[in-house]
Parts: sequence; C-alpha cells; structure tokens
Amino acid sequence: MIQEYDVIVVGAGFAGPVAAKKCAEAGLKTLMLERSENPGEKVISGLTIPIYGFLFGPAFIRDGNPPIERPVDGIKNYVIYDIKAGDIDTVELRIPRPLSPIFAFGYNAYCKPFIAWEVDQAVAAGAELRTSTTAVDVIKEDGRIRGIVTDKGDQIRARLVINCEGSQGILAVRAGVREKYPPEAISLADTYDYECPREVIDRVFGYTLRFCWGFDEQMIAPPLGHGNGLMSWPYRNSIHWMQDQCLMLDGGQAPNLRKLFDEYHGNITTQLPWWRDEIAPSAKLRARMWEGFEIFVGLDDRLRNMPNYTDGMILVGDAAGLESTGLCDGVPAAWFSADIAADTAIEAIKANDTSAGFLKRYDRRIKAHPIIQWTITCRGRWDLRKAQESHDRKELRARIDHQFGPGLLTHLGTPLTKGILEALRKDPTVITKWVRMFLRYYYNWENEGSSRENLPGQEKKRGALGTTLLLSDALGKLLSPLTRAIAWLLEPLAGAINPLTRALHPLIEIILRASIKMEHVFSPLTKRMADSVKQADPSIFDASN
Amino acid sequence: MVRKSERFPGVEWVGETGAFIKIDGKKCTGCGNCLRVCLGRCFEVKNKLASIKNLDECMECAACWYVCADGAIDFAWPPGGTGYRSDWG
Ligand SMILES: Cc1cc2nc3c(=O)[nH]c(=O)nc-3n(C[C@H](O)[C@H](O)[C@H](O)COP(=O)(O)OP(=O)(O)OC[C@H]3O[C@@H](n4cnc5c(N)ncnc54)[C@H](O)[C@@H]3O)c2cc1C
Ligand code: SF4
Ligand code: SF4
Repeated sequence: MIQEYDVIVVGAGFAGPVAAKKCAEAGLKTLMLERSENPGEKVISGLTIPIYGFLFGPAFIRDGNPPIERPVDGIKNYVIYDIKAGDIDTVELRIPRPLSPIFAFGYNAYCKPFIAWEVDQAVAAGAELRTSTTAVDVIKEDGRIRGIVTDKGDQIRARLVINCEGSQGILAVRAGVREKYPPEAISLADTYDYECPREVIDRVFGYTLRFCWGFDEQMIAPPLGHGNGLMSWPYRNSIHWMQDQCLMLDGGQAPNLRKLFDEYHGNITTQLPWWRDEIAPSAKLRARMWEGFEIFVGLDDRLRNMPNYTDGMILVGDAAGLESTGLCDGVPAAWFSADIAADTAIEAIKANDTSAGFLKRYDRRIKAHPIIQWTITCRGRWDLRKAQESHDRKELRARIDHQFGPGLLTHLGTPLTKGILEALRKDPTVITKWVRMFLRYYYNWENEGSSRENLPGQEKKRGALGTTLLLSDALGKLLSPLTRAIAWLLEPLAGAINPLTRALHPLIEIILRASIKMEHVFSPLTKRMADSVKQADPSIFDASN
Repeated sequence: MVRKSERFPGVEWVGETGAFIKIDGKKCTGCGNCLRVCLGRCFEVKNKLASIKNLDECMECAACWYVCADGAIDFAWPPGGTGYRSDWG
C-alpha cells in the first residue's frame, strides 16, 4: 500500500507535536512518527523550561494545562572555592516576592507526561501518530527527499519531512542534510531522580533551582567551562539532579566519564553541606539515567551555520543544533523552531514548492529570532574555563553571575524586550493571556495538578479576581491600537536595553539582594495573592478570545 | 520482555533490541574512547580491538558514536518500541 502524506513529522518529543498540531490544523495530512512505544519515555532532560518558551512559544501551551512539577523563581548558585574548608559563596538571581512564585522564571516538568500532553493536543487536532516506529532512512528521488523509510520497511511518501528527531540527528546525517557534531560540542549528562518529601523540598529549595560550581581540583564537578557543575531542580515530591561533562575536552582522549561521574557524585553528595545535611537524610534514589546534549554547538560558526533544510526536509529543535550554550535549555528553541517550521510547511505546500529555494525562509526566520539566536550564542558557560586558568575567586564569581546570576539580565535584556514587543505588536491583548497563564499554572501547581476536567459540575464563581481579569480583558482590547503603536515605536530601541542593564548592573544586584532580604515583609501579601489564585474557580483563568 | 537493572533504577529495557550498535574491526584502533564514555559499561577493549560486551544497560545516548574518531562505530536506533524507557526523564 502506498502511503502518502502532506507532512511527516519525525519524532514526537518536545518539538514534534507542536509542528504536527499546527500542520494538521491547517488541513495538511500529517503523520507523526515516534520510535518509542509511548511518547516521551525515551526523552531524558532536566528540566526547567524557561519562561520565554511559554511567553513566545505555541499558543496552545500558553493557554493550556500542561502537567508541571513546580514553578521556578530563579537560580541560587553555590560558588565552591574549597569544599573541605567550607569556603563557599552564593550568587542568586530570583524574581522577588510577592511577584513570584506566581509570576515565574520557568516551570519544572518531567518529560514523559509533558510530551504525552503535547502529543494528545496534536492528535486531537487531526495529526496521525504512529509509535514504535523508527524512521531509518529517507526516500530520495532526483536528489530530493520524498518521504521516509521505517524500520518495518514501509515507505511513506510526503511532500515535506519535518525532522524533530533530537540532538543526535542520525537521520539528518544519513540524509546528508548536516554533519555529525564533534564530541567537543556534546556533553553527557549523568542524571539522578530522588524522591523527597514535599515539605523538605519546600523548606530547602522553595521555588529556586540550585546550581553548584567549583574549581577543578575540588573534584566535585566537571572541569569549569566543560560542562555544568551540579544542577538540581526541585519538583513536586522529588529532586532532579544532573552533572554533565563534554565528551572531549580539547582533542586527545575522551575523558573517563564512567569513573569521573561516580567520583563527582560521591564527593559532592557527601561534602556539600546543604545536600549532605538537609536533603540526603530524606532523599531516596528513584532513577538514574544519562543522555547527551548540545552544550557548545552554537558557539562554533561552522556548526551553527550548518544547513537546517534541504529539498523536502526541515530540521527542527535539537536536530537543528538549537540547544542553548548558556542556560542549558533547549525546549523553548524546539518550540519556536517547530512553530516556524509548521508555518513554512503550510506556505510551501500551498505554493506547491517544497524545494530548498522555498524553504530558505525557514532558516531566515530562525536567524531572525531574537531568543533563539541569544540562546545559541551565549558564551558564559564556556568562559568559565578562563576562571580556572586564572584561578581567581573574583573572576569565578563574576563569570557565574554573568551567566547564571543577575548578570544574565545584561545580555538577556535586549532579546527578551524584543520578544515582548514583537508579541505585543502582533497581538496587543497577549498581556492578559500571559497573566492568565501565570495564574492558571500556579493554580494547577497548588491543586496538585488536579484534572481540570473533574470540575464542571461545580458552581462557577467569578470572584474579585475573575472580575479583574474580565475588566483587564476589556481594557486590553480598548487599548489595543495604542499598545500596538507603542510596541512598534519602541521596538527599534530594544537594542539599548543590554547596555542599560550593563550600566545599572551594580544597582540591579543591590535591589535584587535587598528584595530577597526583605522577603519576610512581603510574606503576608504573597500568601494572600497565592491563596486567592489557589481558591479561585479555575475557569476564570481560561483564555478569553 | 522487560528487564531492569540494579545499578540503574527507574529504567526499563523492553523487547529484543538486537545488536543495534556495531563495531567495524577493520577501522577500530583500540583507542578506548568508547569504553571511557559509556556509563552503561557496554564495551570492552582487548588486544587493541573494541567489542560490545552486551547492550543490556545501554541508554541509547550515542556517546560512543560521537567519540569514535575512526568511524568504527555504526550506530542505529534499536527497532521501534524496544530499548530503554523511563518515567523519570
Ligand atoms: C540532561 C538534559 C537536561 C536538559 N535540561 C533542560 C532544561 O532544563 N531546560 C530545557 O529547556 N531543555 C533542557 N534540555 C534540552 C531539551 O531536553 C531538548 O532541547 C529538547 O528535548 C529538544 O526537543 P526536540 O523535540 O528537538 O527533541 P527531543 O525532545 O529529544 O525529541 C526527539 C524525539 O524523536 C524521537 N526519535 C528520534 N529519532 C527518531 C527516528 N529516527 N524515528 C522516530 N522517532 C525518533 C525520540 O524518541 C524523541 O521522542 C536538557 C537536555 C538534557 C539531555
Ligand atoms: S572509540 Fe572507536 S576506534 Fe576507539 S576503541 Fe572504540 S570502536 Fe575502537
Ligand atoms: S549509546 Fe551510550 S550507553 Fe549505549 S553503548 Fe553507546 S555510550 Fe554506551
């Protein structure tokens, strides 16, 4: 039987369902192929999805109820100069109370339920899903890709293949779209998942991620600038934990990761005071996994500029090398690029032209995306190796501050502002959608992710919060032309935000530090805000149109 | 068929994967890179030649494929629906 589709999406990870949903909604006959039996069960990640992914990513995620494990308000970095002597400094970047935890820096999630939720949305939109099916090759005719060959030997034809296969890019390499990435650009993440009572996590972490960094000779973490020290993520009743190191440092032999990871893990879990004393007594190991990710692909001009499209195929997300070289995130760029790929596919199929010449616009849009370009060119983590070279405490602290502390604002400011202004120009009412998202996600977190579908029988109560949201909707609509005009006028000025935050950096540090110190003053207000969201009728948070 | 591992809890290996990672003995220089990066201890190197002990604890990370500078490792995914899986990734 000849099978024919408009679009085949290879891989149902974070990106695949986003592309498939949009294509199916546009009326394209869309097939999603996934090699695992259940979507998401082969994806290993952190995972904090930073807020820009939700703000500027697919509308159905922003307006929906994906399963999250905990909102995140920021990062607390432990700068370890000498662990035995207890010589440890901290650098903290946090959204202050009472804004957080409702207005979050990002959301933590397990991959499997989150991806399964995305896949359900794509299938509901009409995309067909075939699991336990690996795309092993492409059908090539006259030098162009015309479809996919599966591990079952099926040949499935399509006008366009959207390749969301993840970082290894086995299919993309085989099809000759891009080369295999060198081991220096890939880091192997040794990942642990610990069960831990919620009250312990609430007390020790709250909503804040904890990262640890140390000079190389401490042997508590991978060499500076060649991986991430220790990243630990608080979930609902568990802690995710990862250390990662590049597969090759500077040529020569591959490091003995088998031995090194055990050494780092043993040293840090027994010597790091807060882990040893506050977490370890109540944490129970539940899972240990590992996976490679693209730590420095974007920093190499040649790798960053490898083709991401060819006649009949577009590469998306990790397959296109879009993982962050700074914060370690890849989901936002996977979502953005999947959205852009779907738009391109819809246009290409309408124009009946899926040639490389037509698909070039995909690459142009990726290169014009402010957040994608920022995430794949951050040098902060790579530059940590310079702090090891100088072995200067001040330098180490300053470099951590720059990439994972308040200094982040000095380079994220411009792309973030550009993203906000562009979103406002396209849809001036998006602000209320963002606010509703923050409130809905917080509600879902507080209510143990309880299924919203169980609630319809209950009487709906709008309450003061619901009325405020309705009023702000009306106001937002009324002011739309003005908001759009202001966004349009301000957009050219977004470039000034980075220099401005650089100039104000010392002041920003002081304000952030003071706001953390003053947190207790805001406790009653934070609690009141949280309670009003927690106890609201969740239907008031649903997106209005 | 579902297999578990004591060393790596929270992960299951399902079905018959077959030998989805292969080593080309003619290209292998015995450098040991694959052995050093494989946390699943899938490799052994004897007499300057690598071989796969078994893929029982392979997490399909492809680290071995990345570090083999001599192109001796032929890496493919196991058949659809087989291999490792986890709820905690
Ligand atoms: C340890 C670790 C920690 C991370 N932490 C974070 C974080 O905190 N925040 C963040 O935003 N990002 C993080 N990332 C990155 C993030 O996980 C990726 O960027 C994201 O998963 C990319 O999405 P994707 O859809 O491109 O690929 P994936 O999510 O990897 O999806 C690829 C899918 O394709 C399937 N597949 C592959 N080949 C085939 C084939 N030939 N046929 C059929 N199916 C196929 C796979 O089974 C998989 O389901 C982390 C990554 C790792 C490894
Ligand atoms: S990395 Fe490649 S060349 Fe080196 S031992 Fe392994 S298979 Fe042989
Ligand atoms: S894919 Fe990863 S776990 Fe499997 S053999 Fe290669 S290095 Fe080992």
